Amino acid sequence: MRRTLLAAALLALLIVLVALWSLVTGSAGLTVGEAMRALFAPGEGRSDVILWQVRLPRVVAAVAAGAALGAAGAIMQAVTGNPLAEPGLMGVNAGAAFAVVLALSVFGVTASGALTWCAFGGAGATAVLVYAMASAGRGGPTPIRLVLAGVIVGTFLGALTTAILLIDSQTLDAVRFWTAGSLKGRQLAQILPVLPYVAASLVAALVFARQFTTLGLGGDVARSIGQNPALWRAIAAGCVVGLAGSAVSIAGPLGLVGLVVPHMVRLTLGGGYGRIVPLSILGAAALTLLADTAPRALLGVDLPAGITLALIGAPFFICLARSHGAVRG
Amino acid sequence: MRIAGLALIVSLAFVAALVVGDHPVPPQEVLSALFGADGVPTPSRVIVNELRLPRAVMALLVGAALAVAGAIAQAVMRNPLADPGIVGINAGAALAAMVVVVQVGSLPETALPWLTFGGALSMAALIHALAWRQGTTGTRIILVGIGLSALAGAGASAISVFGEPAAVQRAMVWLAGSLQGSRWERVPHLLLWAVPPALLVWAAAREFDLIALGDEVALARGQSVNLARATAILACALLSGAAVAAAGLVAFVGLAAPHIARALVGPRHARLIPTSALVGAGLLLCADITARAAAPPLQLPVGLVTALLGAPFFAYLLWKRRND
Repeated sequence: MRRTLLAAALLALLIVLVALWSLVTGSAGLTVGEAMRALFAPGEGRSDVILWQVRLPRVVAAVAAGAALGAAGAIMQAVTGNPLAEPGLMGVNAGAAFAVVLALSVFGVTASGALTWCAFGGAGATAVLVYAMASAGRGGPTPIRLVLAGVIVGTFLGALTTAILLIDSQTLDAVRFWTAGSLKGRQLAQILPVLPYVAASLVAALVFARQFTTLGLGGDVARSIGQNPALWRAIAAGCVVGLAGSAVSIAGPLGLVGLVVPHMVRLTLGGGYGRIVPLSILGAAALTLLADTAPRALLGVDLPAGITLALIGAPFFICLARSHGAVRG
Repeated sequence: MRIAGLALIVSLAFVAALVVGDHPVPPQEVLSALFGADGVPTPSRVIVNELRLPRAVMALLVGAALAVAGAIAQAVMRNPLADPGIVGINAGAALAAMVVVVQVGSLPETALPWLTFGGALSMAALIHALAWRQGTTGTRIILVGIGLSALAGAGASAISVFGEPAAVQRAMVWLAGSLQGSRWERVPHLLLWAVPPALLVWAAAREFDLIALGDEVALARGQSVNLARATAILACALLSGAAVAAAGLVAFVGLAAPHIARALVGPRHARLIPTSALVGAGLLLCADITARAAAPPLQLPVGLVTALLGAPFFAYLLWKRRND
């Protein structure tokens, strides 16, 4: 417990520091003092515009999307008991990408606010479809059926998306950055409407972490200690949809973070989802923010965060995977 | 019985693949052309023997190779989500293709198969090496594979973001998988790289039954688990690498075919491996016929069609067995 609290405090501090770093780096230099003044006493100056229009939205988007994906990944792994489970498996990324590409290509939607809701709607609809497919039959949505249904729907929609992009190179050009998971050019007005969903789902994830762990022990065990697996599976799925749908609508499909961060927590501090869920939330937020900030600050290149996440996260993840004998899959 | 039915379906699909196309050839002419009988118009004979036959043979081989690779991957990783991509084939191949098409641009497209084969094999070797620590575990291989695939994928993604849209599209087409480049001279390569590993794993079917039960059980029964795993990964990499080199990244066959085969003949590998091969071959043949016939004169990438055809079929199976 003490180690968990310490780790949580350290991660929270890291988030604050990296957020500051993110606010003061960019093509136009701001000092920390200027940034703080603009943040807490907004005026009409140049630094206010830069901070509120460009940099703060990025920070908010990175933290919100990262936190949501970390929680969603932890829940998915807890409920399915599968180390390969990640939010993308519910088909949310494929559904969101399909909705966005369809909107751009067929309906000619260009307003980015509208695209945010397209992504959110596509993600939600796909997840509902996946869940319905997995729920058919007597056994209900067992983890393995859920995962297979997710793969089926995701593959199908992914193929349709690719087909559209192969025919329509204009949309390919417009959507490339989005599919690489970029936080560039977000507006607060687009992000704020999604935040309540993120917040509500995060709270639910934290409160119900124990029940999700019980689910992962299998339907029989869960029933024997008086849990109703069907109800809790539905709640878990609802949480994942809220979280992953929000994340993908804010930042595009950020692949690795939901998969990797829960493993990192498990490998460094050990199991128990009461610990893994909160630390995954903080860790994933920190990692995403860092991935969005570091290339801009250190290299002056604005890489899409999804790419940086893989470049930072993957080697670290491989080292962790090597340094521990058996991971409880 | 079920295997016989499946074999019949695959044979019919094979004949259909020779009949269907821009220039339809009636079935009796196809058979005459195949057996070198007289009285077949020259265009038909050339089309059947030089274009459609090698393409159908390639489809059979690629589909079977991917399916067997998938069956092995699922057994060794003890994970129903495992597919050949788990040993890094897809990511390695995708990165190689992106680098060649988008960045280099001057390399001849003929070098692409060899480079992707090399990329796939080196990726598999690297994953195994990094996962090795006093032996391997299935989970550790999966985790390391995820990490390395993510790295390679990020590389490919970075190239696609900063590359020429036209070149990116070309690379995407190649990656989506196609049997368009099928020629007789490519068949021996595929046979050479895919048939020995497939026969090897079929001969070792009992070992896969054993390893699927878990390391402790397998060790207790005297199996050298690490050796079995390393051999399986090598076989998987050879099979899927050969398939990728021949036809690009054909999605879904490696994942879905073993599941479909399991629904037909159960989990014993002595029957599962040949059945998977048949299912994979049939899937890819049907997909290629569809890809050629769906929107002529355009040819859809066959990897897209496998996904578009295979996914509903897989969904139907899932629904049919919903009460198991």
